[in-house]
Amino acid sequence: MQRMSAHVDHILLVEDDPRLAEMLTEYLAQAGFRVSAADHGAAALEQLAVTPFGAVVLDLMLPDMDGLDVCRQLRTRSDIPVLMLTARGDAVDRIVGLEIGADDYLPKPFEPRELLARLRAILRRRVDAPRGEDKGDAEVLRFGRLEIDAGAHSVRLDGALCDLTSYQFDLLLALARNAGRVLSRDQLMELVKGEQLEAFDRSIDVHMSRIRAAVEDDPKKPRRIITIRGAGYVFAKAQQ
Amino acid sequence: MISRLYIRFYLTLLGSLALFAFAVVALWHRAGGPMEQADANLAVLVQNQLAPLSAPASAQQATLEKMAATIHARMTLYRADWSLIGSAGGFMAPPPSHQPPGEMSMHFERPQSYLRLPDGRRLLSDKPLGASRPYTLLHTLLALLTVGIGIAAYPLVRYITRRLERLQRGVESLGAGELGARVAVEGKDEVARLAQSFNRAADQIEQLVGAHKTLLANASHELRTPLARIRLALELSMHQLDPKRKAGLEQDIAELDYLIDEILLASRLGAVRESMELEEVDLLALAAEECARYDDAVLNGVPLTLQGDPRLLRRLLRNLLENAHRHGAAPAYVRVKRDAAMATLTVWDSGPGIPPEEFERVFEPFYRRRGARDNLGAGLGLALVRQIAQRHGGEARCAALPDGRSSFVITLPL
Repeated sequence: MQRMSAHVDHILLVEDDPRLAEMLTEYLAQAGFRVSAADHGAAALEQLAVTPFGAVVLDLMLPDMDGLDVCRQLRTRSDIPVLMLTARGDAVDRIVGLEIGADDYLPKPFEPRELLARLRAILRRRVDAPRGEDKGDAEVLRFGRLEIDAGAHSVRLDGALCDLTSYQFDLLLALARNAGRVLSRDQLMELVKGEQLEAFDRSIDVHMSRIRAAVEDDPKKPRRIITIRGAGYVFAKAQQ
Repeated sequence: MISRLYIRFYLTLLGSLALFAFAVVALWHRAGGPMEQADANLAVLVQNQLAPLSAPASAQQATLEKMAATIHARMTLYRADWSLIGSAGGFMAPPPSHQPPGEMSMHFERPQSYLRLPDGRRLLSDKPLGASRPYTLLHTLLALLTVGIGIAAYPLVRYITRRLERLQRGVESLGAGELGARVAVEGKDEVARLAQSFNRAADQIEQLVGAHKTLLANASHELRTPLARIRLALELSMHQLDPKRKAGLEQDIAELDYLIDEILLASRLGAVRESMELEEVDLLALAAEECARYDDAVLNGVPLTLQGDPRLLRRLLRNLLENAHRHGAAPAYVRVKRDAAMATLTVWDSGPGIPPEEFERVFEPFYRRRGARDNLGAGLGLALVRQIAQRHGGEARCAALPDGRSSFVITLPL
């Protein structure tokens, strides 16, 4: 990871449930973050006005105002990374959350490691692409704890880099871009053809098992790249 | 067409108008046509005053002059063929259609009176003589009046019923789930009051639905925050727990999360007919993802895409697999097939299956099969499966397999 400026690991946690806030503070502290907490929206905006934070973890439902409002107000004066915590899992909220300027979104009850991975991801992106640069040009696909950065040609699981060859990365990227759709071996070959010559000496299935070894929690029970007998492969859309 | 209210209104109006006109004509004739009689009597009296038709024209002229002078009228007398006999006080030309052709046309001045004498002679006068006017006028007037009222009434009737139609459209769009639908209130009559009542009712429905949605969203949040706490607590005490117990606890959290989702979804699907988020969904891919959650689910089929709500369809698949996992025996089988314009999803397991008499009842909410091994789940799983299938315009049923077991068959339109 690149060198961070002093405040980057300082997180503002906006959560109205005191016990969850306490535990999150402890959990994030164990992971090396400094955490300040606010239990309502106005307090959060006040703290943000005076203290430079690296990122905000923002609960959607707050006693005084909607988390979306907090995010909207915050965006008028700052582009600090925002990770929204919410319970509503449907697509509408996700779009709203991201369109009003949140960087990422995580439904409760979240996997703590996933929260950590996503928090690190939005911080890393901010460090990699400092203010002023267009952050839209780099395509980053996120599926639960898995993050595929098309620009940097890197894959991370729980924030840790996965070891893949360039051809394997292209295969994974082709699958991930078509997440939730069945791709036959021929379609897959078509999508990555012309890029590498590696394909000729090893069959796709061998590459697949390598990719699985790198990105699956249990390669024997794949949950991310699934084989459908007689049809091809599916990259799972809903992942942990 | 005839069922339209405005057409019935209008036809009723036209019918009563026609009935009225017929009644007037019939009564007139029953009374012997009093005006026509008056004219006929007057004609006899006038004829008696004049020299007879057979008398020379000068004699007729003399009697005509005498008659005209007594009432200070201009009068002109013609034979039946409109040839002139004589005139008194000033000549009055015959109507243009009876003037002899070829000659210069004479200025026709509409007479105040026109009398047809019993012997065929015609008398024009510039002074009114009796009831006068041809008797066809009554019928003409009546007919014109009837047609006039009939035409004028159409926009009026249409106006009233058009407001009703607008109201009806408003009610329909509310019923279709557009909760913001309101109608314009015009005027102060019954239709306007109906529109007001509709708007009030729509307001209340919108508020109720809104409150319901907020309640669901809050419940979802309030129930999941403690779950998030438990999960975090597990993660924080990772080193003090043995992995097996931790896995069990994580399983419990997942189950609770699933149940919360199921109950909230059931209450959402049951109460609020909100529009679905339609997307192109690859059913085979979705089935593969869900099958991958189990160690021994066998998936077969062809890739096919349909328009659907991916979240709901995932829930449908998960509930079917969960049902097989909990109540049946491994392995579970899933098949995705294309039949004409339908996608058919079949799920069965290696257990004994469901007896035919329970094929329908298993889809009832909270129904638990007798002798079921456990009480897992809220009993909503299969009811939701059916609701989701119906939401997509499809259906869910239970069918017997050739070997006596049973399968769940879901058909969804492509």
